[in-house]
Amino acid sequence: MSGSSKEHIIKSYDDELARLTGEIVRMGELAVSQLEAAIDVIDRRDERAAQHVVSNDDAIDLLEQEISHDVVRLLALRAPIAGDLRNVFAALRIAADIERIGDYAANVAKRSIPLSMVAPIAPTNGLGYLAELAAKEVRDVLMAYRDRDAERAYQVWKDDADLDEAYTGYFRQLLTYMMEDPRNITPCTHLLFMAKNIERIGDHATNIAESIWYQVNGEPLTAQRAKRDFTSNPEPTKLGHKD
Amino acid sequence: MTESAAAGIHPQSAATPAPIAPTKLKVRDLHFYYNGFHALKGINMDIPEKKVTAIIGPSGCGKSTLLRIFNRIYAIYPKLEAKGEIVLDGENILDSSYSMNRLRSKVGMVFQKPVPFPMTIFENVAYGIRHHEKLSRADMEIRVEQALRSAALWDEVKDKLKQSALGLSGGQQQRLCIARGIALKPEVLLLDEPTSALDPIATGRIEQLVEELKSEYTIVIVTHNMQQAARCSDLTAFMYLGELIEFDRTEQIFTKPGKKQTEDYITGRFG
Repeated sequence: MSGSSKEHIIKSYDDELARLTGEIVRMGELAVSQLEAAIDVIDRRDERAAQHVVSNDDAIDLLEQEISHDVVRLLALRAPIAGDLRNVFAALRIAADIERIGDYAANVAKRSIPLSMVAPIAPTNGLGYLAELAAKEVRDVLMAYRDRDAERAYQVWKDDADLDEAYTGYFRQLLTYMMEDPRNITPCTHLLFMAKNIERIGDHATNIAESIWYQVNGEPLTAQRAKRDFTSNPEPTKLGHKD
Repeated sequence: MTESAAAGIHPQSAATPAPIAPTKLKVRDLHFYYNGFHALKGINMDIPEKKVTAIIGPSGCGKSTLLRIFNRIYAIYPKLEAKGEIVLDGENILDSSYSMNRLRSKVGMVFQKPVPFPMTIFENVAYGIRHHEKLSRADMEIRVEQALRSAALWDEVKDKLKQSALGLSGGQQQRLCIARGIALKPEVLLLDEPTSALDPIATGRIEQLVEELKSEYTIVIVTHNMQQAARCSDLTAFMYLGELIEFDRTEQIFTKPGKKQTEDYITGRFG
């Protein structure tokens, strides 16, 4: 049960909760735009645009501060309980996840600057696919949040395994390039960090999905998700090799 | 079937509360009528021993009526009738053979507005004891002190026991009424909106007292204050229009109530 569809007797309470939802959605949209812009500057090898993306992260941080302030105010003045409490609690957690997503997008843009200073290498193109998957996850999870749709959130939570798998594949690809030619090591290392940042964005999208699930159902989403990021597997010989 | 359900992930449905202690008061199919009005409609609940059970609900839902049936106050008024059973330690207290004197010694009650008797602080507490027991003066003094200490009032009144109770503050008067109730060593203590006329500090003291008293007494508290129910009680019952809508652990009721009516009421959406 996701709280109640009825309005509060005190109308301004509804306005404050709606404002909180709006702020989260706006913050999330901003984070997705940042991720897309970060990928765009890699393609364009545009240092100025990359700097712009990095500085834009401040807007997301500012929104997080506003949300924290609104949450504290709601807790102090409205003393929310039951579904209202879960809404407010979820908003606080989700804002923290979106703030991290923004940081990762800014990190990707930041690393695009040294990457643009060396000769282009083929695997750079593969990063776009990872970013697409991550951006879709974040967009979907925001829709799930806006609509209080636990099933849609669950779908995102499950689909993150695809991003993990894509990341593992990309990781192997980069290792192969590095082994082939040591001159690839510098750009590939940057790409590795960028890919990891994008993979982490997916993890934060799943955190958001878990918060939505709790918000709607009042209990944690506890089942084990299929984790298919094998890059931290302690058997490195399997990476980049087909036995 | 939704995908999450297919994967074996189910939001749990609201459960009846698992017993947290042996049952002290067992209410079975309780109906109450006054002047032909059907005020309580088949209440069933198990009130656990030495725990605090809060009863919440909008005005007129029957919560105070239910509380008052627990010590049969209704019996002093005509045209009031209770049907069903309330079993206290294996005996139905609604049975006419269950003496009122015995019931009052087992079930104490504190009302919304503190009503000290117009006599000294000492006599306020001793009055009820004298009605039930014959004690020597020394024993009586010990008993009064015990009751006042249990009600967290002793330190404030020990030097003015011979003064009129009417001179105490509202919060002190309410604690005096609690002392008067527990002086008879009851097993169940009923509190009917005990802090609605008190300021936050006096309210805090009463809530702290409830916390301390529950190690010895089974407490049932009726309150309009949602946060008070959340702070003080182990179990919460939500009533509406004479029916018990939901009865569960307080934590459950205030984080994830099982019924929409409960959610609407506690979150301020009722009307």
